[in-house]
Amino acid sequence: MELEIKNISVSLSNKEILKSINLVVKDGEFISLLGASGCGKSTLLKTIAGIIKQREGSILLGGKVLDKVPPYKRKTVIVFQDFRLFPHMTIAENISFPLKMLGVNKSEYRKRAIELLKKVKLEGYEDRHVDEISGGQKQRIALARALAADPVVLLLDEPFSSLDVNLRKDMRELVQDLQKELKITTILVTHDQEEALTMSDRIAFMHNGEIQQYDSPENIFKNPINTIVADYFAEGTYVSGHIKDKRFISDFFSINANKDNGSYKCLIRPSALKISKTRDSQFKVVAKVYQGDNYLIKIHNTDGNLKLESILVDPVDIEVGDKVSIELDKDKLIFIPE
Amino acid sequence: MNKKTPYILIMPIVLLGVLFIYGVINGIVQSFGYIPAFNLRDFTLDYYIEVIKSPAFLDSLKVTLHISLISSILAAVLGTILTAALVYTGHAEGKVLKVIKLAILIPHTIVALFSISILSQNGLLARLFYKIGLINVQSDFPLFLYTKNNLGIILGYLWKEVPFVAYFSLSLMSSINKTLGEAAENLGASRLKSFFHITLPLSMPAIGKAFLIILTFSFGAYDLPFLLGATVPKALPVQAHVEYIHPDLRHRPYAMAMNGLILLITWTMAGIYYLLSSRNRIKGDKHEGY
Repeated sequence: MELEIKNISVSLSNKEILKSINLVVKDGEFISLLGASGCGKSTLLKTIAGIIKQREGSILLGGKVLDKVPPYKRKTVIVFQDFRLFPHMTIAENISFPLKMLGVNKSEYRKRAIELLKKVKLEGYEDRHVDEISGGQKQRIALARALAADPVVLLLDEPFSSLDVNLRKDMRELVQDLQKELKITTILVTHDQEEALTMSDRIAFMHNGEIQQYDSPENIFKNPINTIVADYFAEGTYVSGHIKDKRFISDFFSINANKDNGSYKCLIRPSALKISKTRDSQFKVVAKVYQGDNYLIKIHNTDGNLKLESILVDPVDIEVGDKVSIELDKDKLIFIPE
Repeated sequence: MNKKTPYILIMPIVLLGVLFIYGVINGIVQSFGYIPAFNLRDFTLDYYIEVIKSPAFLDSLKVTLHISLISSILAAVLGTILTAALVYTGHAEGKVLKVIKLAILIPHTIVALFSISILSQNGLLARLFYKIGLINVQSDFPLFLYTKNNLGIILGYLWKEVPFVAYFSLSLMSSINKTLGEAAENLGASRLKSFFHITLPLSMPAIGKAFLIILTFSFGAYDLPFLLGATVPKALPVQAHVEYIHPDLRHRPYAMAMNGLILLITWTMAGIYYLLSSRNRIKGDKHEGY
């Protein structure tokens, strides 16, 4: 079902947390709310679920206004970061809790709990207690319990952040598989840009209670609307200049750029810079940082007013102190209007 | 802070503890009939046997159990309702909490004075009812004090115990409601269902502990039954006091035997509570972290 957030503002303790948020999530779409801690993304999630009341604006689900619908009738179910499993219940009782609340009979809700346990790959765990399972298993149970509530919108509040790296990967795959299978409109709250880029159909980037950009992962990464968005995905070096007649001109270089005339900042990310060793150049390698799959090479020009970075997969012949020539990949340069 | 500071700081409580333990041990020794100062030198269970066999003791025990059980159960129920009301109306912190603390701070003797001036047949309510014509004479006002139903004592205990239960269980219930209660509502439980299925069961450890504290306290407390209770039968602690101040000092072991029995019964209550709560823990009921 399509979810529409119209002009939502939220204040908590007299502090404005969300400022006129507008967002449309299409039926069956998987979107991410991405941003740093404190940007308001979890507040937006709780506002959608009705746990936090908005100061102004409306939330529409399938065209129906949700504002006066109490949280327990919304079917906008959250999977919390801290799981929030009920400690006085078994795993099966936890999963079947939403069904029990609907008045489904015991044999039926237990059957459904066992089915859902199978979906989250925890068959045979139904009679265990919450304190007998690991963090990763708790997260799966929380997901199964949310699915038992038959959600119209599934809200995932940083569900993987408390898991270790390997578990996180498994859980991401599980969530993606289930979302594709069940076609539930899903919103993931995360501060992990890689998670947002790999899992989502679209990403809404939030900063200071506002959505800065709402776009596909590829677009938001390649065409960030401002330096805040650009820096969150991958930092680099900004060079100021202007574009005239489809050419970017700066103090350091000029290059073709398919943009309108005006002042711009050109962002040179490490991936946009190719380097090769040479005898005579104004650029010198000042640091070489091992990063596992590759090396980050830091370069300064002789005047010291241009500091660039490049990534090299095979850095065999380049060492600190070497002079290097640089080549800019114009397709990977990002021009942000000033 | 040098190494000795923590030991110096802990001295007052250690001294109080030593005095308390000395008093208890001395009382128990005296209950076995050993008070050399009164020329009682034989250890014997006779005082216990005599006390247990006396009909007055059984009557006193019944009265004490009646007062403590009814007041504690009512306080636990009303205190839980008060806690839930505070949590669900968003008053788990702030001014309301100060009012609750104030009610707890008022000593029982003052509560007894309040009760007398409000509930007696010469009290405020009796005068008010007479004034507005609800009763013909002040003596028509129902007896709350000095009666065998012990209503005055129970009301006096409720004055302090209801806020005590609320204060004791408020932070646990509030935090459960904010986390697991919120999750339950999000999963389709109405506020009422969320309270009865999640918040209340998980708050039971705090409510249970508060109940045990007020039960054992009201079982062993002397002041309210002494000030507001019937002449006979007397509550057990009052009966023990009567024996204690008996002009014949050789009655002292009877008083101490009664105290010993009060101690035994309260320990039994605590033991039963421990067994019940540990049985819950075995079932996986480990939720006090919330």
